[in-house]
Amino acid sequence: MALLELRDLSVRFQTNDAEVRAVNDVNLTVEAGETLGIVGESGSGKSQLSFAIMGLLARNGRASGRVIFDGQNILNAPPKVLNRIRAEQIAMIFQDPMTSLNPYMRVSDQMAEVLTLHKGLSKRDAVAQAVQMLDAVKIPDAKGRVRLYPHEFSGGMRQRVMIAMALLCRPKLLIADEPTTALDVTVQAQIMQLLSDLQRDFGMAMMLITHDLGVVAGSCERVAVMYGGRIRETGPVGAIFAEPTLPYTQGLLDAIPRVDQDDEELRAIPGQPPNMSRPPSGCAFQPRCPYRRDVCATIDPPLEAFAPGRARACHAPVPEVLGRMTRAAPEPDQPAAHPNEAVPQPIPRGAVAGAGAAGTTSTTEGQ
Amino acid sequence: MFAFVLRRLAVAIPTLLLLIVFSFTLMHLAPGGPFTGERALPPQVLANLEAQYGLNDPLWLQIWNYLVGIVLHFDFGPSFVYPDRTVNQLIAAGFPVTLTYGALSFAAAVIFGVSLGAIAAIRHNSWVDYLAVGVSIGAQVLPNFVMAPLLVLVFTLWYGLLPGGGWSFDDPSFWIMPVIALATSYMASIARITRSSMLEVLGSNHIRTARAKGMPEHRVILRHALKPAMLPVISYLGPVFVSMITGSVVIDIYFSTGGIGKAFVDSALNRDYAVMMGVTILVGALTILFNLIVDVLYAWIDPKIRY
Repeated sequence: MALLELRDLSVRFQTNDAEVRAVNDVNLTVEAGETLGIVGESGSGKSQLSFAIMGLLARNGRASGRVIFDGQNILNAPPKVLNRIRAEQIAMIFQDPMTSLNPYMRVSDQMAEVLTLHKGLSKRDAVAQAVQMLDAVKIPDAKGRVRLYPHEFSGGMRQRVMIAMALLCRPKLLIADEPTTALDVTVQAQIMQLLSDLQRDFGMAMMLITHDLGVVAGSCERVAVMYGGRIRETGPVGAIFAEPTLPYTQGLLDAIPRVDQDDEELRAIPGQPPNMSRPPSGCAFQPRCPYRRDVCATIDPPLEAFAPGRARACHAPVPEVLGRMTRAAPEPDQPAAHPNEAVPQPIPRGAVAGAGAAGTTSTTEGQ
Repeated sequence: MFAFVLRRLAVAIPTLLLLIVFSFTLMHLAPGGPFTGERALPPQVLANLEAQYGLNDPLWLQIWNYLVGIVLHFDFGPSFVYPDRTVNQLIAAGFPVTLTYGALSFAAAVIFGVSLGAIAAIRHNSWVDYLAVGVSIGAQVLPNFVMAPLLVLVFTLWYGLLPGGGWSFDDPSFWIMPVIALATSYMASIARITRSSMLEVLGSNHIRTARAKGMPEHRVILRHALKPAMLPVISYLGPVFVSMITGSVVIDIYFSTGGIGKAFVDSALNRDYAVMMGVTILVGALTILFNLIVDVLYAWIDPKIRY
C-alpha cells in the first residue's frame, strides 16, 4: 500500500469573477521512503496540490477527490483528525523562510510547542529536543541560538530551522514546497544536501515541489510534471531526463542554462502559462506547443501508461513527432509538425527563461 | 530598555517646558482677557485686578513666575474667574471624576472593540462578520452628543433605571451612561482596526506554518495571531486613552458629571488663564507618558524593535 495516494484530487477557487480550476483530477502515489518531485511553472497548481493534502487551502478554496494517507481518507477531514496528522505524520516546509516563521516568537517556543502539543512533553524536554534537532540540521551553537528570534537568523539558517521544526515528530512524509526558491544558489545546494541526508537518516518519504529541474535531478527518484493543474507526465527521473516525451517537459529541460554549451541565449517556452479561470480548450499546453495537432485543441489527452513506470498525457509525444519528421516530410493533413514551429523560438532580449521565472515572482509575497 | 525609558523621561522635561512657554504666549496673544466682560470695569478696579494677578508684568516675567511656582511649589496659581479656588483645587475636584469614567470607558472600548474586531476577522465573510461590521459602523456614525440624550431618554425618562446626571463615587449607576456614551465610537474604531489587522495577520505565511504544525485554531489565534494583530491597535490606543481620561466636554455637559472637560472649555471661553494652562499641562504630560508606554509595548511585542 502506498503511503500517500491522491485520487482525482481537484482544487477550485471561487473568486469574484470566476472559478479558478487550480488542480484538476490529479492521481499520484508516494511510496514510503521515496522522493517524488513535482515540477511545473508558477501557476501550474503544484503548491495548491500540497496545500490541499494538508488542508491548508485559502478560505475560498474547495478540494474534491480523495487523499488517502496510510489507508485513511484525510481530504476535508475534520480539524481534530487533520491536527493529529499534521506535523506528526505529514510535515511541511514552505517556500519563503523569511516569513514562514513567526517573527514574534523565539525559535525555542515555536519549536517546543510542536512537541508539547503532539507528544505531551514538558516545555523543558521539548526545548532540549528542539536543540538536538537544530544540531541535526547543522545549525552551529544550537543551544545558544534556540533562544533567538527568527530575524536574527539568515535566510538559509531560517530554512534549516523550518526543516528542524518539521522533523520534530519524525513524520512519515515531508512535503517541501519550493524549499530553496528564496535562497541563493550556494545555500540551495546545502539545503538540498541536508534534506537528502535527513530523509535517508529518518527514513521518510518526501514530496519535493519545485520548478528547478536541477534540484529534481539531484534528489528525486520519480518525477511528476504538472501543467494547467494536471499531471502531464510521470516516470523515473533518469528516464524523463534522458528521453522526455512531452513537448512541455522537453521545453522545461531546454530552458535549463547549461555550462557546457556556448549558447548566449536562454531557451524559453514561448507564451504564458494558462489562466486557470479560462483554461484553453483541449490540452492546456496546446497554445504553446510546437508539435500541436488538430486534435490537441479539442480533446484533453488522458494520462496513459506507455512504458513500465511511465505515463503521459499527450497527443503528440516528442519521439513520435521527431521520428516521423526524420522519416518523411509531414503529411499535409498533419499540420502539427510545422517546421518553423518545431524549434523553440529564441527569446527576445530582456525576457526571462520560462522555468527560471517561476520562483522569482512568487517569493516576493508576504513582506 | 530601562535606559531608553530614562532617556525618554529626560526628554519629556524640556518638551513640557516648551509646551508651557508656547501655550502661555499664545494665550496672552489672543485678544481679550479674564476681566473683559460685557460691562466694562471701572479703570481703577481693572488696574488693581491686573496688578494683583501680575498681568502688568512683561510676558517673560509672567512665564518665569509661573514656572517658578510650578517647579518649587507645584502651584498652578489661582483661578482668574473663581477667586476663592486655585487651579490645583479645581483639577483635584474634576480630574478624579474624569479619570474614573474615562478609564472605565477605555477598558470597555478596548475589551468590546478588540473582541468584536477579532471575532469578525475569524469569521470573515460570515453573518457574524457582517453583523460586527454593521454594529461598528452604526456605533461610529452615532456621535456622543446624540448618544447621550438618547440614553437619558431611554434609561431615565422611559424606564427610570438610571440617574439622568450628576456624579457619585459610591454609586456606579451614575457611571453607566457616561461610560456608554464615551466608549461607543472609540469601541467602533478599535473594532475596525482590530478586524483589518487580524485579517492581514491571519493571511500571513507564519499563520499557515502554525496550522501546518497541527495547532487547533484557537491556539493559532491566541498564540500566533493576536499579538501581531494588536500592533496597529496599540498605536491608536495611546492618544485615545489620553483623550478619554482628560475628559469630554460633551459628557460633562450632558450628564453634569463635573469633570475637567467642562472646566477646560469654560476656562477657554472665560480666558481663565491659569485653569487653561493647568489643564493644558496635564494633557501634555499624559500624552508624553502614554506615547512612551505605547513605545514600550511595541518593543515588548515586536522583538525586531530595540531601543
